[in-house]
Amino acid sequence: MSNIEQFKNRNVSEEYFLVDIEDYPTDGWGKFKRVVKRTFQGELFVGLWVVLREMIKFDIHTVQYPKEKMPIGPRYRAVHEMKRLWESGTERCIGCGLCEKICISDCIRMETKIDENSRKEVSEYSINLGRCIFCGYCAEVCPELAITHGGRYENASEQRAHFVMYEDMLTPIDMLKAGQQQEFEGFGAITPHEDERVKKTPLAY
Amino acid sequence: MSKLINFTIDGKAVTAKKGETILTVARREGIYIPTMCYISKTTPCASCRMCVVEAAGVDGLVLSCNTPPTNGIAITTNSDVLEQERTNIMKLYDVNHPLECGVCDKSGECDLQNKTLEFDVAQQNFSAKDQHRQIENWGLINYDPALCILCEKCVHVCNEVIGDDAIDLQFGGYKSKVIPKNSDTLDCTFCGECIAVCPVGALVSSDFKYTANAWELTRIPATCAHCSGGCSLEYETRHTGISSKDDTIYRVKNNFEFTSLCGAGRFGFDFDNKASKDAVAFANAVEALKNAKAIRFSSMITNEEVLILQRLKEKLGIKLYNEDARKFGSFMDAYASISGKKHYSATLEAVKQADGIIVIGSMIATDNPAVRYAITTAAKHNGAKIIYAHPIEDVLMQNTITQFLKYEVGTEEGVMALLAKYLLENVELSYEEKAFFDDLDDGYLSAETNIGEEEFTLMMKSLTRTKNRVLVVGNDLIAHKEAQNIAKLAAVIEKYTDISVLVVPRDVNTLGVSLTCKLDYDDNSLLNVVGYNDKGSFVISSVGEADLAAPALNQQEGTFVSIDNRVVPTNSALAFGGYELLDLAKVFGIGKKDTIDFTKELPVENGFKAVEFDLLENFLAPLGEDIRGYLLDVVEVAMDGSLDELDSLPEFNGTIIYNVNPVLQFNAYTNITKQLERETTLRGSAQFGAAARVSDGDKVEISFADKTFIRTFKQDKSLKGTIALNPTFDLDESINSYRFQKSKIMRVNHE
Repeated sequence: MSNIEQFKNRNVSEEYFLVDIEDYPTDGWGKFKRVVKRTFQGELFVGLWVVLREMIKFDIHTVQYPKEKMPIGPRYRAVHEMKRLWESGTERCIGCGLCEKICISDCIRMETKIDENSRKEVSEYSINLGRCIFCGYCAEVCPELAITHGGRYENASEQRAHFVMYEDMLTPIDMLKAGQQQEFEGFGAITPHEDERVKKTPLAY
Repeated sequence: MSKLINFTIDGKAVTAKKGETILTVARREGIYIPTMCYISKTTPCASCRMCVVEAAGVDGLVLSCNTPPTNGIAITTNSDVLEQERTNIMKLYDVNHPLECGVCDKSGECDLQNKTLEFDVAQQNFSAKDQHRQIENWGLINYDPALCILCEKCVHVCNEVIGDDAIDLQFGGYKSKVIPKNSDTLDCTFCGECIAVCPVGALVSSDFKYTANAWELTRIPATCAHCSGGCSLEYETRHTGISSKDDTIYRVKNNFEFTSLCGAGRFGFDFDNKASKDAVAFANAVEALKNAKAIRFSSMITNEEVLILQRLKEKLGIKLYNEDARKFGSFMDAYASISGKKHYSATLEAVKQADGIIVIGSMIATDNPAVRYAITTAAKHNGAKIIYAHPIEDVLMQNTITQFLKYEVGTEEGVMALLAKYLLENVELSYEEKAFFDDLDDGYLSAETNIGEEEFTLMMKSLTRTKNRVLVVGNDLIAHKEAQNIAKLAAVIEKYTDISVLVVPRDVNTLGVSLTCKLDYDDNSLLNVVGYNDKGSFVISSVGEADLAAPALNQQEGTFVSIDNRVVPTNSALAFGGYELLDLAKVFGIGKKDTIDFTKELPVENGFKAVEFDLLENFLAPLGEDIRGYLLDVVEVAMDGSLDELDSLPEFNGTIIYNVNPVLQFNAYTNITKQLERETTLRGSAQFGAAARVSDGDKVEISFADKTFIRTFKQDKSLKGTIALNPTFDLDESINSYRFQKSKIMRVNHE
């Protein structure tokens, strides 16, 4: 029976033992003897053998980064992506400003205005990736599932500004048409079997 | 007395005064009754029916917003039946309401959203066939009928408080919507009150639409810096955008439940001055001040800065020029010499409560919209009789006024004398004053002023049963050649009758300037004059070209004295990068750490209180009481004045222009704002056009006194007579003279 008492037992000395460690040499002669002993004991060749053995086996697991990349989890939080609507291809972002508000490192900023169809239009959108801590709040708060984190984790470029361009974050239209826009399940997303769940609005007219 | 009604609300014993409704009593007592369409400053719209309560012994439910209580009745504000009723109303409000809260400009400040959550309406139980509703653009105002809940607040405010009566409800069942009244597009003074009162995002400022969310904006309580109304407002600021993190003002809001704001205050907020510290210009300014003989300044200034100027005057031994405030000051001095009090007696609240109002010498709707709104409120709510005396009929006041007294230009003194005579008919006057009125040559005055005896008799008849009367005195009287005597006549009226007097100062702080410093007569003879927001040989200004840039009034903190004789604080909404007057004062050793350190040193002998700026409040109490700043103390002065005998009244013949600004424009600051319309034409009637031999669209050269400028003549069908309206807001100097001017109008050939 595991009760709390066994975890409270701080007396662990019975299971521990001291390893046999030689005393450190104090004089020059002692140090010389230790060097000679360690050099000719052959431990060096044990290590060399392990490398040689693995080389001969040709069973190599090293990922050849950057030529080769590991697949990463869909929930990995790297550089943001802006999604498009599947049906029309227009941007999902409605410019509600919640991501800007919730951002704890204050790195999202957007400008909105009224467009010619009297709808709200996002005219400027930027994320300062130098400040972003990739916490994922923006993606979580987004009511339209418009902003998500993508898998692009390689943040190396000549200019930091390269990562904050809205156009780069937005799914390219050809990728969307090819059905390659990565979709997420979860709050706000299209759930599986959505069509069966839709009920007809009880309209009286 | 039996005027108090005792009854109970939810078991609590409460007392109502005459005229109060169940709802107003409940609100006063802190008892919550939900409402959607109620707004304190208008009569109840009674369109939402949310405020229903149960009254013991009464069948059915009672609307608390428009039902006065009866003695002893027991009111219940909360029960299952009421809850069911209110929930059903909310369900109906939510039918087909677009689910676009994420982008709506209300961004959470929404009455409909609040009440929907309060009554827990989570699904739509009722249905109606939705229809396409086109968003309409009415210039400065955008209307989205899909979001409109038809609460009628906007219609009531427009009609009852503003007086434009420009919008109406188009009834058509589910198709009902708000429409411009008798017009295809909105034709009004664009005060924007409808935007302010709209509980949902249906009426929105076109400029603000979809640019910012409410939660991002920082609210800065301030005082409007366009006219002497001293309306409280809040500047809402936010970073400009991605390109700049400097703040800009996004919109202006007001406490619409109790106060109103005109369009200049609401839409004309971007008059800030951008500048950086220019050390050379500053050194030049110091040098210019050392050599100056005088400082000429405008009344667009805070009391604190006036005090700095006054200290500079004492230190440097120079003169202070401000003709606008000097004229106002001497008008009030003459007034005080009869009334015995330094300040006039009426406030805007008194005008709102009045049932008889006489307006003289002012195109009040454009001179001071706050007074106009107060007059409209009085007319619509108290059925007040409005007597409007002016040489020009004002189309904006047409729906409000009871009687129009048209007098001849320049005869204000005669009108005032006759007015006083009639108002003081059965009053015991002192010997000299009685002699003055007995000596008046009624026939001559009637003939010259062109107001007949029957008109005054009619006026007296309509004023007979009025109890709270106010006389509103405008700038034409203050800037008049005989201003002193006119002031004394107004004071006599105040002294012997129950009529209180409201004098309308011209600019934001004309009243404050006249009380804070000692001004000298400006005869334009000196050459070495430093201009502070006014013309001079060295100009320090916050608008237009200047030798040294200064902060505009939305970049300064300080106090104004409003038309109510109330010292109201204002705060800086935006930062100013350059030098201010205080920096100059510091050079001369009279500076303090901040400009607002001067607030407690404002002259106590003129009614100011020795109060620190930071102790001044700048908001309205929950029930609407104005607790901003403080009211000037009553200052008693010697009653040593006496009425002067009237000289012959001046005659104005030929082409006369009236220097008055169009709607929403007041000064050089409103002139530089982005949204306000700039109507810079000389507007006159067809009759004027014929007399001056100019026709619509002609370029004309106008010259009066020593001024000459070119304008386009525009024939205005709403005008009558031979007086044309000449705007002054776009002129580079302020016109302080009497506003009617004989002028020469010449047609200039098109190049």
